[in-house]
Formats: sequence, structure tokens, C-alpha cells
Amino acid sequence: MIVPRRDYWSIHPSSVYQAFETSENGLSEQEAQRRLRTYGHNELPRPRFSGVRVLLRQFRNLMVVILIACAIIAGFFAELKQSIMILSMIALSVILGFYNEYKAEKIVVDLRQNVSIKAVVTRDGKPSEIDSRLLVPGDVVSVYVGDIVPSDMRVVHSKDLQVNEAVLTGESFPVEKTSNLLDIEGQPAPQQLTNYLFMGTVVVHGDGRGVVVSTGKNTEFGAISRSLARSHPETEFQKGVKMYGKMLLTLTFVLAIGIFSLNAIIGRSLIDALLFALAVAIGLVPELMPAIVTISLSTGAQRMAKVKTIVKRLVSIEDFGNMDILCTDKTGTLTEGKIVLEDYSTLHEIKDPRIITYSLLCNAAVVGERISGNPMDAAIWQYAIEKGEVESTKPYIKIDEMPFYYQRRMMSVVVRKDGELTIIAKGAPESVLSKCTHAEMMGKSEPISTDISLSIHDKFLDLSQQGYRSIAVAYRSIESKTSYSVEDERDLALLGFLVFTDPPKKDANQAVTKLKEMGVDVKILTGDNELVARKICDDLKIPVKRVVGGSELTEMSSTQIKAAVEETTIFARITPEQKLDIIKALKANGHVVGFMGDGVNDAPALYEADVGTSVDTAVDVSKEAADIVLLEKDLLVLANGIEEGRKIFGNTTKYILMGTSSNFGNMFSAAAASVFLPFLPMLPMQILFMNLLYDVANMTLPTDNVDEEYTRWPKGWDIGFVRKFTLFFGPFSSLYDFLTYGIMLFIFGAYVATPSATALFQSGWFVESFWTEVLVIFVIRTRRIPFLSSRPGKWLTVLTLSAVAFGTIVPFTVLGGFLGFTALPAQYWVLLILMVATYLLLVDAGKVFFYKICKF
Amino acid sequence: MLNLDLFVWWVINISWSIVFLIAVSIYLYGNSRTRRKESNQTAANRIRLGKDFVFVWILLGLLVFYIASVNIGSAVLFAAGNIVVEIILIVYLMKSMHEKSEQTASPRSK
Repeated sequence: MIVPRRDYWSIHPSSVYQAFETSENGLSEQEAQRRLRTYGHNELPRPRFSGVRVLLRQFRNLMVVILIACAIIAGFFAELKQSIMILSMIALSVILGFYNEYKAEKIVVDLRQNVSIKAVVTRDGKPSEIDSRLLVPGDVVSVYVGDIVPSDMRVVHSKDLQVNEAVLTGESFPVEKTSNLLDIEGQPAPQQLTNYLFMGTVVVHGDGRGVVVSTGKNTEFGAISRSLARSHPETEFQKGVKMYGKMLLTLTFVLAIGIFSLNAIIGRSLIDALLFALAVAIGLVPELMPAIVTISLSTGAQRMAKVKTIVKRLVSIEDFGNMDILCTDKTGTLTEGKIVLEDYSTLHEIKDPRIITYSLLCNAAVVGERISGNPMDAAIWQYAIEKGEVESTKPYIKIDEMPFYYQRRMMSVVVRKDGELTIIAKGAPESVLSKCTHAEMMGKSEPISTDISLSIHDKFLDLSQQGYRSIAVAYRSIESKTSYSVEDERDLALLGFLVFTDPPKKDANQAVTKLKEMGVDVKILTGDNELVARKICDDLKIPVKRVVGGSELTEMSSTQIKAAVEETTIFARITPEQKLDIIKALKANGHVVGFMGDGVNDAPALYEADVGTSVDTAVDVSKEAADIVLLEKDLLVLANGIEEGRKIFGNTTKYILMGTSSNFGNMFSAAAASVFLPFLPMLPMQILFMNLLYDVANMTLPTDNVDEEYTRWPKGWDIGFVRKFTLFFGPFSSLYDFLTYGIMLFIFGAYVATPSATALFQSGWFVESFWTEVLVIFVIRTRRIPFLSSRPGKWLTVLTLSAVAFGTIVPFTVLGGFLGFTALPAQYWVLLILMVATYLLLVDAGKVFFYKICKF
Repeated sequence: MLNLDLFVWWVINISWSIVFLIAVSIYLYGNSRTRRKESNQTAANRIRLGKDFVFVWILLGLLVFYIASVNIGSAVLFAAGNIVVEIILIVYLMKSMHEKSEQTASPRSK
């Protein structure tokens, strides 16, 4: 066991290695495993997946509480049979809920494992990438641009390492980190520790290596993580379902009080009246809704994983399906995402090797076990390694660096060679050229005249129009100073251009067209210039309505931005802050906005968008901020994911519509009948039994097939539509309940209040009510002709028909006798079949009428 | 118990559910017309109103039939009536399906 101390900042890296019984070669795998057992996983305490917790949660359901109350009341008033029956219902209901929720949660936990944060750790002298949860104190970890620091570390090596510690300190300006010793007395604040890397912070520049000093809850982040927990706002669907639930509960409460009062007034026993009122209330509430939503989302997430889409936040699936605007960058979506340095030359097409040497020196890529960072800088390194030109940088010593920022779109370095200092600048041609007064012409530096300026402009224009991405390289001699700044980026001489290609993706047009057909408008947010972006779109035959540049956007008021975002296809040369402005404007215009990004600076936009989508190869910070992670950066993969999202939304909506149309009708007619009948139309335990059977039949609804018209267009949650649907389809069920009352009372003579007549009435109504309640799903689940033009899911059909068969034979069984049912005459079954057939045809006819006047 | 004849209570309840359904249908229909700003009472509109409301006529017919057959207490009449209603509904559904497929086939005028 390592004796923990707090002042690793004040001791030399070699002493840090010693303190943790490790070395530059890292721990041995065996020792790491031993420490993992001692210190535990490197993760923050979060609610663990536990079967017991899922089970206990079942009892937090209001309906279960009401049922327990019913069982106690019934038991207290010597209604032992009712009490046993209600307790059995509770047990079955809890088992059903537990089984489904356990399975659903397990799926989500398993899926999340697919997008774990990785760390590059050196063990037994070899670097390898492991799940960051497996890090232990003493591990030697390397970090690169875009990485989320996986644990608290003492820096032992750094190269231009800069970290954003906003998550800990609130300061968004990057902090430089080195391995230098610090002389600090007492307990320093995190921002004072410039030789420490803290868990959760983000590497924005350079690279480094550190020794893990603490993991999991012992880190600084772990200590304050509870207060840092970032909660996502509720999705539109969550808000809608909550509102709907509240509306139902209010209605149920009012109805239950009403039924109890009326039954008490007409002289029915108080216990009968109370149990009946509570049973009707339970029958009304779609208590399965949370479970159906969870099952829908989790099974959907599982299906989406099969189409390479990993869902990190389940509730975002619904918004994913409802998304109508997708903002994405160009690289990897419209292009292959393989940036290659194609060529380099001076203005006179001369391949001057200094262009490569200078661009290797003035470069933000990190070359270690892997080349990471800016893709264009990485492509220059790749080229130089392949052509053996890396050696050319050897005589140079880097003195200072002015890093790349989106506002400047360039970076510069000061280097020394043979005692002479040179400032080299590299970046977007227009940015670099604005700092140039000279251009190198045939080996001579000449002032930029109008002619030269025009030829530079023409060259840049020509490259852009051909779809090449280009960057300019410039330099000048500079005097020795103690420090350098961006002010020194002046009077430069243009040396030449580097030309990159990233070929258009063959299926990009197909993907954009498919998204368009699905009602999703694609907007391209790129750091490239307008011409390059337009050329790619032209090559792919993607129609471009309008192009807005970053500088143009800066000049716009918020009202103008709101108008511009509607008609613009390409936003070129934009900064990460402007991405955020565009997303905010689109959201303010009422769109459900998706954003796809994989860069270090994309995290705020990923958080801001309704659906943040990243890719598996993205930097950690983007993956962490995203709701959905694609295993392949491809718009077609995204389109498939959207389709799945819409299916899930469709099946959840079906359950809600079904619950309102049949449950409501049944319970209202039961309430009305209880007032004028000389006996209860159905015993409380009979209602509960029917409710349970109905729940079982609904369990497979999330696996149902969804018609094409449901996935064709984004559909938002519309409470107004649900209300209209309830008002229209609810009375159908009531009508047929009343009809059954009439048949049982006046055709089968069950109007006399004898036990056998009552049992006959209750059995007749139970079977009819159950048949209509369950079978109507086949009509309501589609706008088309049931079975003929829209086939229900296999499991839905099997389970629904099995439930109907079971409900039909119950009155003839011992269980039926226990529940108070009696065998029904043959004539009844003939009438029932005819009546239910009429009911289903009538609901289907009603559906034609309803969808003609109500759009959804 | 309430001092009212069971049958009258039953007729009130079944009529209420159909009347409510018809009222909702008229409300939703009117609502959609207002949205489409097509409330001009031309002769063509009146014909269409009659066609669109076939469903409502079926409901009213059903109400009369159900009350009559239950009042008579004849299972045979009830069964036969149901078969007739089912045939009417199937014809209505087939006609609607045919109209819908024709609309899909012809180019949209709007």
C-alpha cells in the first residue's frame, strides 16, 4: 500500500516515480491488477445498476400503493378473497414491471460500455490504450489534444501542454502545464498546481505524460462531482408525457371521488363503493406507461446499436426521431474524412522543400505513439514521414509559439537555426496574407504589388474552386527578444501553399437526399472557405440555397441570424462560438436541432443541440458531451438511427392513444352503470384482473412494426392531438359497453339482482370489455387497413391473441369461479363475435373520418 | 336503488355516448373546416358535408337499431342487424380506400 502524501507538486518527477513504486516504464501488469483490487476502479460514485433497486422502485408506483391500500382495506373488512386476489395482482404486476425494467436497464448499461473513455497507459514499458476505469495510482499515462484527463496526475513530461480546467475552476482560458517543481506552502487551489493534471479537464494543446496520484472519488473532480453534475433539460416528449400523466391523474382522482360518493349516496356498502372506485381509478391510469416508454427506448437503443448508433442518453431517442435540422461539419460526412497533403509549391509552382520544413516546425500535431491533433497538421507529418523529410527540421530549435485560435485562423513559431531567428506563420491563406508585405518570387523576396496580389488571389481561388483545401506558409527574420506575441506576425514574406485533398464521399448525396426525404434539412457548418464547401456540394449535387461566411455572421443582429439560418445551407469559415449561435437561432425558430461534431471545440454545440451526435473516433470531450455516438461517421448511419428513433416514438404514442381510447371508455361506462344497476357491473377484483391481463397483452407493443408514414416525417409530441383522439375514440368503447349491458339485462335476463344473474352479467361484460379493449390495438396501431395493408408485429399478435384466448376461457375455469365469473351461454358468444366485429369495423370507419379531419 | 326503470336508464346512457360521439365529430369537423378556411356554404360544400358525414349517419342508424332490437329482446334480430351494419361499414371502408388510392394516384392540385 502506498503511503499517500499531498505535496507531489513540490518533488522532482523521479521522486514521484519512487513514491509510487513505479518508473518511466510504468507499472507491471501484475502490479496494476493488484492495485486495482486495492484501490478499486477509477470511476466516480454513481448509482450502480442493481436488481434490488429496480425491484424496490416497483413499490414506488402510486398504483401499487393504492392496490396495497385496497388489499388492507378489504382484509380489514373480512373481504379475504378480495384481499388475496389484490395481493396476487400486486405480486404479478411487480414481477412483470421488475422483469421488464431490469432487462431494459441492463441493455442501457451494456450499451454505455461501448463508448467508454480510453487512456494511453505505459505498463511493462509498452504503451497501450485501456479503459480509463482500469487506471490505478502509479500508472504512467500519456495525454493528447482532445483527451479528457482520466485521473489526477503529476506531470512528469510535457510538450506545449495546455489544459482547459473550466470544469473545476470556471476559467475557460487554457492553462499551461509543465513538469516544473512548485514551491507552495499549505493547501494549494487546483489552479495553482501547474504541474498537475486533474480528472475531467480537457487537453486543448500539446501533449504530456503524468503519474496517476489519485483515482475515482479521491480525485479533485470526484470531491466536487455532485455539485458539477450537469443535468440535461427535459425533452419535449418528456414534458408532454408528464403533462399527459398529470391530466390523467387529475381526471382519475375526480372520477374516483365521484364514483365513491354516488355509490355511497345510493346506499351501496361503503367498502364496496370504495373498492370499486379505487379499482376503476386503477383501470383508468395507464400505469404501464413508464415501463412501456422504458422498454420502447431500451429495445430501440439495442436495435439502434445494431445499425452502429450507440445511445448514451435514452430520452434523446425521441428527439432524435423528431429532429428536423441536422448541423454537421463536412469532413467525414460529405467527404471521406481522409485528409492527405497532395502537393506544395511556391507561387511559381516550384516545390520548395522549406515549405515542408517550415510547416513541420509550425505545427500543432502531436507525434508520439500516434499522430493526433489538427488533421491537416497530422497530414503534413504523415507526408514528411513517408517522404523521409522529417530530418530537415533537426537543425532548428523552437523558441516560442503563438498557438492556433479560431479567431486568427493561423499559428506561428519562432525558431533558431545557426544563431538566426525566424518567425514562421502558417494558416488560412486570407489570414496569413493579411500579415504579408512580401512574397517570395523565384527565390527573391519582393514587395506584394497589385499584380502579385492578384496572382496570389487567383491561385488561391483556383485551388478552392477545384475543391482543394489550402494553407499558406510565410516567414521573416526576427530579432531576439525575451518573449514573442501575435504582434510579431507582421511584414511576413509569403513562401508558398500546401494543398490538401479530402475526396467527396460517394454515398453522401444519397444520405443527404434520404435525410431530406425524411424531413431533415442538412446544414453544413465548416471551418473551410466558402468555395471549397460549395465545390464539395456541387460535386455531390447537393443543392445550396445560400452560403454565409463567419465574418458576415459576425455583422448580423440576432434577428438577422434567425432569418439567415432558415435559408442557409453552408456556413463557411465559422468559429465554435458561431456554431453555438446558429444552433440557438434554429432552436429559437422552433426546430428540433441535431448537431454532429467530433472536435475539441464541438462540445458546447453538442450540449446546446437537442440531439448531440458524435462519433466513436472523436476526441473524448466530444463523445462525453454527445447524447448519441455513431460507430461510423456516416450520414447514412445517422439516417438509419433517425428511422429507429421514429419507430420508438411511434410505438410509445400507440400505447398512449390505445390507453385513452379503450381504457377510458370502459371505465366511464363502468362508473355510469354502477349508479343505475342494482349491483356492481364488475367486482373490483374483476377490474384488476382485466387490467393485469391488458397490461400483459401490451408488453410487446414496443416490438410492433411501424408503418412507413410514421417514420417518413418528424413528428413532435402533440397533446392537442391526444386530447382529440381521446374525445373521439373513448365513446366508442363506452357505446359497446352499454350495448353489452343491454344484451345481458334484456336479452339474457340479468336484470334481477340474484347472485347467478349478477355473475352472468359481470362475466358477459368482462369478456366483451376485454375483447374490445385488447383487439382494438390492431385497428388503432395503424392508419391503414389492419392486417391487409399493415401487418402487426409477430409478438404483439401472438401475445394479444393469447391474452384474448385466456380471458375467454377464464369464466369456465376454477380461477373464474374464484373471481366470481360464471359460464356464458352459446348464444352469447355468437352475439359477442358479431358485436365485436361491428365495433372494430366502426372504429376503423371512425379512424378514416378522424384522420381526414385531424392531421398528425 | 334509484326509482327509475332500468331500460330508460340504459337508453339514456347509450344515447348519451352516441350523441357525445356525434357532437365531437361535428366539433372536430368544424374545427378542421375553419382551419382550411372553406366555410363557404356552396351547394358543392353541402353535398360534401353529406358525404363526409356518412359515418355520423351510420352512428345514428346504429343507435336506433340497437335500442329497437334490445327493446324487442330478440337475439336473432340483433345478430341479423349487426351483419347488415357490418356490410355497410365494409362498403364504406372500401369506398374510402378506393378514394384514397385515387387521390394518391392523381397529381396534387394544391
